[in-house]
Amino acid sequence: MSQNSQLASADRSPVQGLRLPSMVWIGILAIAASILVPGALGNQYWSYTFTLVTLYIIVAVMQNMLVSEAGQMSFGQGAIFGIAAVTTAVMIGLHGQPFWFSAIGGLIAGLVLGGLFAAPALRVQGYYLGFVTLSAALVFPQLLIALDSITGGVNGVPAFVMSLSTPLYGTITPLSLLAILAMAAALIFHGILPHTVLGRRMIIVSNSPEAAQALGIHPGTIRSIAFLIAAFGTAVAGVLYVPLVGFVGPTAFRVDFSIFFFLAVIVGGQGKLLGPLIGVWLLYLVPNVLLADFSHYRLLIYGAVALVVMLAFPDGVVGTVSSFIAARRGGASKVAISLNDAFDHDGKDVQADDRAEPNGAVLISVQEARKSFGNAVALGGASLTVKEGTIHGLVGPNGSGKTSMLNTISGFMTLDSGTVKLFGRVVTGLAPWRRTRMGLGRTFQTPRIFDRLSIWENVQIGREGYGRGGDAGRSSKLEVFAAKWRDQDPSLLPHGQRRLLEILRVMESDAPLILLDEPAGGLSTEERTELSRLLVHFRDRLGKTILLVEHDLSMVWNVADEITVMETGTIAASGLPENIKSNPKVRALFTGGRDA
Amino acid sequence: MSIDELALILVRGLGQGAIYALIGMSFNIVVNSSGILNFANGTLMILAGVLAFLFLPATPGFVGWALVALAIVAFLFVFVLLQGVLTLFPLKSSVEQHSWLITTMAVSVIVSACIHLYGGSLAFRVPPLLPPVSVFGLSTPSAYFLLIGLAAFWFVMIGWFHKNTRAGLAMSAVAQDLDAGKAAGIPVRRIQLYAFGISGLVLGTTGFVGAPVINISAETGIGYLLSGFTALVIGGLGSNLGAVVGGSLVGVLSMFAAYRFGGIYQDTVTMGLLIAVLMFRPEGIFGLAASRKV
Repeated sequence: MSQNSQLASADRSPVQGLRLPSMVWIGILAIAASILVPGALGNQYWSYTFTLVTLYIIVAVMQNMLVSEAGQMSFGQGAIFGIAAVTTAVMIGLHGQPFWFSAIGGLIAGLVLGGLFAAPALRVQGYYLGFVTLSAALVFPQLLIALDSITGGVNGVPAFVMSLSTPLYGTITPLSLLAILAMAAALIFHGILPHTVLGRRMIIVSNSPEAAQALGIHPGTIRSIAFLIAAFGTAVAGVLYVPLVGFVGPTAFRVDFSIFFFLAVIVGGQGKLLGPLIGVWLLYLVPNVLLADFSHYRLLIYGAVALVVMLAFPDGVVGTVSSFIAARRGGASKVAISLNDAFDHDGKDVQADDRAEPNGAVLISVQEARKSFGNAVALGGASLTVKEGTIHGLVGPNGSGKTSMLNTISGFMTLDSGTVKLFGRVVTGLAPWRRTRMGLGRTFQTPRIFDRLSIWENVQIGREGYGRGGDAGRSSKLEVFAAKWRDQDPSLLPHGQRRLLEILRVMESDAPLILLDEPAGGLSTEERTELSRLLVHFRDRLGKTILLVEHDLSMVWNVADEITVMETGTIAASGLPENIKSNPKVRALFTGGRDA
Repeated sequence: MSIDELALILVRGLGQGAIYALIGMSFNIVVNSSGILNFANGTLMILAGVLAFLFLPATPGFVGWALVALAIVAFLFVFVLLQGVLTLFPLKSSVEQHSWLITTMAVSVIVSACIHLYGGSLAFRVPPLLPPVSVFGLSTPSAYFLLIGLAAFWFVMIGWFHKNTRAGLAMSAVAQDLDAGKAAGIPVRRIQLYAFGISGLVLGTTGFVGAPVINISAETGIGYLLSGFTALVIGGLGSNLGAVVGGSLVGVLSMFAAYRFGGIYQDTVTMGLLIAVLMFRPEGIFGLAASRKV
């Protein structure tokens, strides 16, 4: 394999390319100033108000992370804040526990409720979780009143923590500093997150759960983790609320309170690091402080502003602004990658005797696969066998079941009957991400490229997702490739090139068995020739087994060791290329086709 | 529990369940044609109830009642249609989940804020049209029976509409395959707007007919929204039969909880049901698993 593995380790730090965006520092400075300046001047009212607002900003930062990285909508963060606050207050005020102990209780309570959101997130996503979180926001205040023997009921619970509320200077208290610290931590976390493995996984899961599965990631786990992280940050803010306000009543955490955080993030700009700060300042300070007479209209204003923001900036404020800037620049020039840049490949065709002798083990075996959707038959008893170390071509007219076959193998389609074996093991009911972890990689007909990640990161996630890639097979050229494309935006790649990027990703995953779904679509003739050579290189030098679905028949006949022809969900013919070519049935099938 | 109590829970539960089923059906029409779940459905139904409170004369004759009903239902039709225009506007080509979650939620917040500005947190009481009916010697509001009838009516009507009208057939086609529908020349946007309008009709009639037994106030819309959605999750998203079965189940169970533990636990029970079904059978108890799309 590669002789350059020592070079490969040059650049493998866990948080690669980590830099803290300047927005994080600006945000921390702005919030610290908002609390410390009135505090130093001894203005009790403003330092109190801004400390409270800062706690709300922490919640909004967590909500922002949920929306922008994890792609999940929560209408229930206020309930998590509330349960943490109430638990802390009850432990302090009714049971006389010390603050630190009560704080732990509050955090646990917040995490438990977060777990209630996280548990369904294992199975479902998106609007389902919107309803689950909304129901928690609705039920929580009702339960506070219903369980009044525990929670102090309608009267609420007073709870003072003298040690935190004693001024250090002016009206600056230890609590003000704690609030600033917690907010800074939240903002730094959100700033770093997209550059970490976890952050990239969240982005993958929210954009394409299928691609996540094909990378060996279980989407539900990532969603759950996101909800638990958000619950933790929100609970911290809820705990600090108790010593600040000194009283926790049941009416403070109604549905509006949860919806407030959600709208603040939308108004401030989802995904924007400073969005929560702007949103909370605007939505809280303007109606409650500046226009106190209009506080009746608060909810109306929140709703109207959120609606207008969504209609005026359908892609979110950030998206709209950045695409506007891109348009003003006259459109950045398209870029092009070449797979040739990424592999140690001398460009010569491999001689037949160089090739590693395939041992003939069967890596894919599909038996009598049947699947129908209503009356439409996707697979009508199709069988397929792919041997180790071969390129197996899968061809057929549109709708003949090629992609269904790929989805059966990779687990995205569950069969009505029939069995699937991978690496000799029966995997018929196994989830796609588990099959990926067995060593199966795939690309999609519509390439799953993530524009929030750089071109190189789009490749790198292959290695991260599969989680077993060694440095073997990693070429020195790839290091050059990585350096060149580390910060480039993949949206500048033309369509065909996006496919190449996905192929590179699947090669990076080090999977021995690879399914390619029409990899040559949208490529130029030269690029096709290049791709053919590389496929042979992958097989002969890197020992890969490839199942190739492709419309370019001349390409398939050039590289494939065996070919299977599908027709209306069944196998029309299967065998060596030269035999297939002379098969009259196959000839009839492709009459009028591009080749064959 | 005596047989009387059981009958009471059953009748009132089914009556409440009819409301949930109707909200579920109004979800279905829109979700089938556009993949959008309207988070404002609960508040919109409440809005119809508030309008009934405002415009029904103190002692309505049948004609007055029918005219007010017509006006309110027509208003809801136009209102939800316009909401559809707003909701679909940011969705250029694909269905981007974030934007519709936000716009429909924002409309819900705006409508309930307006109701709150008018009436505060107080409940609006609407007098019943017909006198109560005696069931097992227990006086039962007639609205419950009207609601059950209304649910049956819309169930049949929507089914008929999907099978026998051009717009309905186009809607079914779009529901099955949006891209194929587009390719076949169906004006998808217009069909989706019709769907919003029809869901407005369902919500308007429900809010009006159910007004005497619906808890009408600025804050109660979300509770009805969640019960309607839970009904759908149980019955299978997109299926009207599922909405009816799921709605009845949620109605009877939450009525039982209210009777046994107190009304304050009604929403808690619904939430528990929702989470349990999503955890263990996300495709619904009666629904079919949606096919995966790759």
